[in-house]
Amino acid sequence: MRHHNSSGSAPDRSRRAFVLVLPLAAIGGMFATIATAALRFLRPAVSASREKWIDVASVAELSGNKPVQRKVVAEEVAGWARSLAEHSVYILPGKNNQVLSAVCPHEGCEVSWRADENVFSCPCHDSNFAADGSRIYGPARRGLDPLPSRITDGKLQVQYQSFVNNTQERTPRG
Amino acid sequence: MSAAEKIDFGDLKLARPKPLADASDGGATGWRCWVWTTTGIVLMLLFLQLITGLLLAFYYVPSADHAHTTVSFIEKALPSGSWIRALHHHGSQWLALFLFLHLVELFWRGAYRTMATHWVGTVVLLALVMAAGATGYSLPWDVRAFFSTRVAEGIVNGLPLVGTSARTWLLGSNEISTLTVSRFFALHVFVTPLLILLVLGWQLFVRRPTRPYATAEHDCENRGQSTVKKTWRSSVLNQPTRNVLMAAVVFVLLALFAYKFPAPLGPSAANAAADYLPRPGAQFLWLYQTLKYVPGALGSLAGVVLPGLVLLTLVGLPWLDRTPLKLVMNHPRRNTGAAILSLSLIFIATMTLVSYVSDRRDPRTRQQLARQAAEEAAFRQEPFVPALLKEDDAATSPAALALPSPGISATSPPAAYTKLCATCHGTHGEGARQGPLKFPSLLGVSEKPRRSVDDIIGILNDPTAYKLEPPMKSFATKLTDDEKREIANWIVTLKKTQQTIRP
Repeated sequence: MRHHNSSGSAPDRSRRAFVLVLPLAAIGGMFATIATAALRFLRPAVSASREKWIDVASVAELSGNKPVQRKVVAEEVAGWARSLAEHSVYILPGKNNQVLSAVCPHEGCEVSWRADENVFSCPCHDSNFAADGSRIYGPARRGLDPLPSRITDGKLQVQYQSFVNNTQERTPRG
Repeated sequence: MSAAEKIDFGDLKLARPKPLADASDGGATGWRCWVWTTTGIVLMLLFLQLITGLLLAFYYVPSADHAHTTVSFIEKALPSGSWIRALHHHGSQWLALFLFLHLVELFWRGAYRTMATHWVGTVVLLALVMAAGATGYSLPWDVRAFFSTRVAEGIVNGLPLVGTSARTWLLGSNEISTLTVSRFFALHVFVTPLLILLVLGWQLFVRRPTRPYATAEHDCENRGQSTVKKTWRSSVLNQPTRNVLMAAVVFVLLALFAYKFPAPLGPSAANAAADYLPRPGAQFLWLYQTLKYVPGALGSLAGVVLPGLVLLTLVGLPWLDRTPLKLVMNHPRRNTGAAILSLSLIFIATMTLVSYVSDRRDPRTRQQLARQAAEEAAFRQEPFVPALLKEDDAATSPAALALPSPGISATSPPAAYTKLCATCHGTHGEGARQGPLKFPSLLGVSEKPRRSVDDIIGILNDPTAYKLEPPMKSFATKLTDDEKREIANWIVTLKKTQQTIRP
């Protein structure tokens, strides 16, 4: 603007700085209001639907030392949507019916049981786990994750959950 | 344009952002400098629409299945969601109003003479903002949205020559469907904002020669007046500052208004009742009221062609003095513009007022509207229930379909059953289990009391009459009477003694 082109004296300059304070404060106020609401609005939804006990098997049918693969269907709530997700788990009848999540603690692929070699093997990066779930070798930093389980009325039940990957200690997500 | 108007970037010569130049180019004294700040207000409202729209898009899903669920989620479950949606909803109406006022301001200041491109751009912006409002109204997919889409469909259909094909192009198919929702979404979220930004960019940054029109005695900047002494007040309150401050005032008013009055959201379009009275947004009430007086397909003329002609004349206003009109009158541009603007203002204000008054006069209408408002209020109070996303559950997975159906029924299920019932009750009526949810088997139900063919049809029409609870819902409007009877006739043939196909 024309009157801004002249370099002016010191009081002139302070006046010019002051001139900007009012509109900038107004614009900043408007932005701050919307930004506050936006941050609250966009904050990711964390759902806790872990408390549910899901039937995996009846105890009577579990025997032997080989891991038994089962699918559990867990209800997940993500914002406006409920969905039923199927997860793979392994029951260890030889280890007091402990239930392991089939999710590899490395990058989250699904391990499979290799009966011929007696190991769990991850198809993605070749992490290998023993029949009790402990880590043998590979990039995974811990063994397979056990899930909370209990026996009610002859049924083995499990609470499905996922864990933070790539750490030595086991931290549930959520 | 003087040299001072330009920002020099070496070879690149850019104009100073035009609305700022307009804002500071003044042309008034005293209170008028405060009134002539619609530029700032319109810019603020436009950016507010973009920001709130962007935020809503983080959650909204444009499908007939989920649109209403996601909007309810925004409205009921998300922090600040109701306020952000209310800002977007009311903001669109305020924007239309202030754009009209901006046009009046520009006209008053003779912009059609001196800033033809800015004038044309503003008229186009007004048209685009109305188009954005019209397409946005359908997106929540509540009862109100559904009927406004119905009306838009009807108006477009009535257009001469192109009507029939324009209707299907707008709907995406030959009837209102989920394709309509995604079409309106694309138009509202991509097409109109893109065009609005293009026009805005053109107005802000594209340089074009204009004649300076600020005169010394009407200068909000007190520029070019060596006789007027620059005071503290005059330099603190320059015109851009006035624009920003007025925009902030309007922002605060809108924010409070949106806080007090949430945007309307009724029950889902799936529950549309025949006696529903749809009412459009405030910026379209005049059109809605006009359609009541215009018979049949002429409504399309009133709704599309006439406003189109008015906008076209306004766009062409800067060049009207080169037409034969100047043989008839002295100032064709000023007179035509003044006539169009004042007539539209009177017409729109009258029709809007008549619409409000007639809704409150007729007792039946008033009661129905009150009932609808109560329904909306009740719906708003209901807690949000997340929708169940359909998984490829076992009932429809290839493995289950590959299983032979060992004679559960002599006949295969009717197509309508497979389409609407099989997901929950199983492909052959054997029932299903989706995780914790168990859906009852239909095998042998005909042996139970109150389960004759007519009873089953009754259940399909109104499950609550048979004391059945959700998720069983009414299929009264989703199945034809023949389909209901076909399904019922098939269900009574299902026998319990036969084995189920599920291991």
